[in-house]
Amino acid sequence: MSAAGGTKERWIEGIGSLEEINARICAPVLNPAHTWRWWAALAFSGSLTLLMLGSVGWLFGHGIGIFGNNTTIVWGFPIANYVWWLGIGHAGTLISALLLLTRQKWRGSLNRFAEAMTLFAASMAGLFPIFHLGRPYYLYWITPYPNVQGLWPQWRSALVWDLWAVGTYITFSALFWYVGLVPDLAMLRERASSRWARRLYGAFALGWRGSARHWEVHERFYRYMAALAVPLVVSVHSIVSLDFAASLEPGWADTIYPPYFVIGALYSGFAMVVVLAAALRWGCSFEPFVTRRHFDMIARVLLAASIIMGISYATEWFWAWYGGERTERHLITFLFTGPYAPLYYGQLLFNVIVPQAFWLPRVRTNIAPVVIISIFINVGMWLERILIVWSTLSRDYLPSAWRIFLPTFWDWALLTGSLGAFMFLFLLFVRILPAMPAHELRKLWIEENTP
Amino acid sequence: MPSLKPPSGLDRRVALKLLAAGMASAMARCSRPDEEIIPYADMPEGLVAGEPMRFATTLSLAGYGRGFLGISIDGRPIKIEGNPNHPFSLGATDIFAEAGVMSLYDPDRSKAIRRGDTISTWGAFSSAWRHATHAQDGQGLALVTGRVVSPTTLARIGALKNRYPQSRWYRYEPVHDDAARAGARQAFGKVVTALPNWADADVVVALDANPLGHGPDELRIARAYAARRGKAAKRQRIHVAESIWSLTGAAADVRVAVTPAHLVEIARAIANACGAHLGTPELPDFAKAFADRAGQELLAARGRALVLAGDSQPAEVHALFHWTNAQLRAPVSYLPSQDIVENDHAYELCALANDLHAGRIQTLIVADANPVYDAPDSLRIAEGIATVPFSAHIGLYRDETAHGCRWHLPMSHALESWGDERALDGTASIVQPLIQRLYATRTRDDYLAWLANEDVTKAYDLVRKTWQRGAPEAVEASWRKALNDGVIANTAATPLSLPVDRVSDFPGMSRPRGMSAVISPDPSVWDGRYANNAWLQECSKPFTKQVWGNAVQIAPGDAQRLGIEDEDTVDVTIDGKTITAPAVLMPGQADGTIGLHWGQGRLEAGRIGSNIGVRVCGVGARPFARVINGAALQKSASTVPFRSTQAHTRLQGKMEQLFQIATPSEIARTSPKKENRAPSLLPVPPKGDYAWAMVVDTDACIGCNACVVACQAENNVPVVGPEEISQGRDMHWLRVDSYMRPHGYTERRGFQPVPCMHCEYAPCEPVCPVEASVHDHEGLNVQVYNRCIGTRFCEANCPYKVRRFNWFDYSGEQAYADEGVALKAQHNPDVSARGRGVMEKCNYCLQRISRARKTAEKENRKIAEGEMVTACQAACPTRAIHFGDLNRADSDVSNLRKAAQHYTLLEELNTRPRTTYLKRIFNSDENG
Repeated sequence: MSAAGGTKERWIEGIGSLEEINARICAPVLNPAHTWRWWAALAFSGSLTLLMLGSVGWLFGHGIGIFGNNTTIVWGFPIANYVWWLGIGHAGTLISALLLLTRQKWRGSLNRFAEAMTLFAASMAGLFPIFHLGRPYYLYWITPYPNVQGLWPQWRSALVWDLWAVGTYITFSALFWYVGLVPDLAMLRERASSRWARRLYGAFALGWRGSARHWEVHERFYRYMAALAVPLVVSVHSIVSLDFAASLEPGWADTIYPPYFVIGALYSGFAMVVVLAAALRWGCSFEPFVTRRHFDMIARVLLAASIIMGISYATEWFWAWYGGERTERHLITFLFTGPYAPLYYGQLLFNVIVPQAFWLPRVRTNIAPVVIISIFINVGMWLERILIVWSTLSRDYLPSAWRIFLPTFWDWALLTGSLGAFMFLFLLFVRILPAMPAHELRKLWIEENTP
Repeated sequence: MPSLKPPSGLDRRVALKLLAAGMASAMARCSRPDEEIIPYADMPEGLVAGEPMRFATTLSLAGYGRGFLGISIDGRPIKIEGNPNHPFSLGATDIFAEAGVMSLYDPDRSKAIRRGDTISTWGAFSSAWRHATHAQDGQGLALVTGRVVSPTTLARIGALKNRYPQSRWYRYEPVHDDAARAGARQAFGKVVTALPNWADADVVVALDANPLGHGPDELRIARAYAARRGKAAKRQRIHVAESIWSLTGAAADVRVAVTPAHLVEIARAIANACGAHLGTPELPDFAKAFADRAGQELLAARGRALVLAGDSQPAEVHALFHWTNAQLRAPVSYLPSQDIVENDHAYELCALANDLHAGRIQTLIVADANPVYDAPDSLRIAEGIATVPFSAHIGLYRDETAHGCRWHLPMSHALESWGDERALDGTASIVQPLIQRLYATRTRDDYLAWLANEDVTKAYDLVRKTWQRGAPEAVEASWRKALNDGVIANTAATPLSLPVDRVSDFPGMSRPRGMSAVISPDPSVWDGRYANNAWLQECSKPFTKQVWGNAVQIAPGDAQRLGIEDEDTVDVTIDGKTITAPAVLMPGQADGTIGLHWGQGRLEAGRIGSNIGVRVCGVGARPFARVINGAALQKSASTVPFRSTQAHTRLQGKMEQLFQIATPSEIARTSPKKENRAPSLLPVPPKGDYAWAMVVDTDACIGCNACVVACQAENNVPVVGPEEISQGRDMHWLRVDSYMRPHGYTERRGFQPVPCMHCEYAPCEPVCPVEASVHDHEGLNVQVYNRCIGTRFCEANCPYKVRRFNWFDYSGEQAYADEGVALKAQHNPDVSARGRGVMEKCNYCLQRISRARKTAEKENRKIAEGEMVTACQAACPTRAIHFGDLNRADSDVSNLRKAAQHYTLLEELNTRPRTTYLKRIFNSDENG
């Protein structure tokens, strides 16, 4: 990441003035071009959103028996989707907070939409545990609300920790995102032509005038928040991993789970950032802000993460062998030879083997291969999540209970529906809010253009 | 009433008329019954609302009666338990008895008289009967029944014969014992019932005999078997040679799998060992070794040795074994047969077919039999019945025969009937109704008495007339005693003394061409009569674990030869007829044999049982032949799903510790161990007055499934249906895991009933976010249904996978759960029905514990040892399930937990289960 040291290499390319930055960033919101692309994407994602809503209606009407879960494999798609979406929801806050604290300049182009991605992905994630409940209307029972029987949640259950971890994370991410937005909302207030838009943006800009004191307070507050956000990023997926690790099941009850989950989360999150960055670059003409160098940087992060993932997988295999437990050993054999083996090989291929292409600078600096590999990584990470759920439950202690999971139409419908809903929300976001932090990019441009 | 079709133009007059008619019928429904009824203002003596009452009654299997107790709460029979007084129940039940209440409330039961497809009336039937074309003396009148041993029914048949002397009674039982009858005739010159006194035998050799399998004698033998497994000083040794797996084969200490042809040779070898000179048997080495060893041990245990031939064996083997038993002075009681008809069963069914086709029958009455389904296609029974001018079917269901007959008369279920039955040994018992008949039905005796023009046609009066014995003042007392005890005293037959001094001719069996189909009754639905019972359809078969269907069992060797894999669909061709069913590979089955089950493939069983599986009884020439040679097997082009509840049964390597086995000498060498308690960070579970625990003796367990169905009945466990089973879902709180362990050239099989383990450190408890899974102070891990939100973390974290989830509203809406309101009446009112989205599981019959505790507290004492009996424990014919209080040092469970053969499932997890096991013991020290 020493590339910033080179004087010729810039994170913003082809921008002549500060006003050009503002104009480009406000364009998708205030005077969009290529609207047919946006409308087509919105129609597509909207229909998938309807599929999701329909599936949820069907689910609540008929019960979770519509999924492929069975007596042995009592968890299925919803749990895997939850973990996967929440993992994607990791990158935004991490990019914003950790890269801010470590003064990585390239974060400026990514943090706004990455944080939006975090919010939408975490929202999708938050829905799945509700969909997975047998009696979703009693969800509030896991909160410590006062009731006449004096019943409290069971604090030893990882699911309760989960609720707090995810709840805190979503709340904090939303605040962090909003705080970063304030100066840009003020900019939109100034530039919007319609009265209602001016009023709305004005209300949310909280009276931002851009005074030096405003900037000073904002900068400080934002950095403190970032300092708070980093441990949260680590804690949330660690706690999610305890849903599995705080159990008695082979393949789940491992101490490696928290770091393994956090890295996995960053991995899939960064991969999703690549996909969205490419889409934004193309859809909103953000080429000056999202450069090949950005993709190069993310690809390096992905490469590092893929190696850690590979080491994690190998660690699991090693401990299963070295520990000598019948069930653990059997589980690994089952992964390599059982009916899920093609999926497992897919997981290894997508998560460990394919990203090794990032060793080649030619691959890293070409947008198309980086995007394709990132999509592979996202698929691979979803396979990892579903296999964590399936394989352990399919092959735990008593062979008499061994079964296989057969997904149903509704399993797929809800997964694709949630992808559609995520995309739908993101499309709305780019037309309502500035997808790039104009104020940060202005600062960066000035830094880069000051000799 | 006008037609109930939606009227096209409903004018005011018609509307008012309909309204009035509707009101009138509603009022009629509200009126009191004709007889005097008593308001509940004063409680009837002995009846406390909500308290269960037990009534002795009798249910029959294959015509023979077995006495049970029906539990009735507020007038609704909800459960069947064993009658300790009855020699063929001994306090235990089997699946058919347990499922009796389900049949009673079955919404598909026939409720009305029908002529063809339309509902008719008794008046219409009686006038049709008067105009039936049979002659005055009964020429051309035929009565068809199953096996009848009931004195009252026999008297009715006698009366019918008196009224119509030229009439003919055809009696056939589908699962018949013709070979044993013929064998007895060869040996003794007459048909006798040979009842082995199992408990008196030190060595038993069974040749394809399945006394521990379902049948009228199962419960008696099973109890004796268990008695000899337990503390007996000298353990019994059981040698079984058979072609396909039977429960007796699984229970055997030494077992070989050979083809039916080799079985006959083994019989020859064993008889030779006992002094017969029948030439050299042709046997492969392992079978010869088996026969030699069995023969030696039999001789060594003379006086306490027993040989048994199964129904698949030819008459000659039965006769030879009667001789062998005589040589061995075997503990067998010979009793006069209760089945008084001289002709054999298959013969009678063929005779019926012949007479139908010859036009010798003008009037046909089929009483509680289903020949259209039962008879082989070659007999063309349905065509024959269609030619009969007057045909009537009496039965519980409108089955295949009912559809073939012109008339159908609905029959009452045994639990709503008066009647009587005899057991195999002649012990008579009364069939006592527990409930007023649910529909306008009559009993078989009612109908027969009416047809015979008898003066008395009420079943109650008919039964009382049968048992009107002794002095008039004693009659009432003995009647009440018979009803109370469930057994009529001194009705068992006296054993006969039958010398056998000669060896009958023993021709060599020709080596068959092709494969041998070995056919037995379905372990769940018997001969098909229980096909519409959802509990039984969903009760997994002991070895294949299949539910909702039947399969073709093949040996792995044959499968390899023919390129067939597990669960492939195969075609079995027998005598030009093809049966298509899924194949299931059975290690330990003899190469060259195909195992099939009768009883499925019903077309008119009802909404539950129709079109499930494939009909096997249609093939072949002889009805219900046990072995048919010349069968061909090949992979099928079509696909039939194989539905089972357990896909993996083979234990190898370290997994063997899941189902532990031992030999007597190993047990003797093991010193009783102290309970090994690994340290734990978890808080010590609360201590209460009782510490309930269960010990399951896998050595006694024969895998009969009675406990599974008993649990289902007791705890309102819903049925999920075939589609849900295919999805991998089931609801049984108690499952019987079937395991096999490789052993030399064959396999050893055993059964492990798995209820909730009630772990002291229960993994399900800390993971529940709402504390729906909690521990009570008596050591029970209980599930609070109302609190459950359905995260299913508990089941995910349960190493034993004993929890069951309501994926749908199984107990409410699902098609196979509660069809019709009637089924709800079966529900145990002490157990709540679980709604959609809730986890449930075994709770050691908590409702029974509460009841016992209440009783004890009222009497100001503690619950006594043995007072609290779980439903599974009560059902178990081998008393394999022990339950009690660990706080009591001298309790049965406390002692068993110290026994040398005691073990804990997955002990290494330190969950400290309260349900533990005793090892399966094979009384055979050598390997192989």
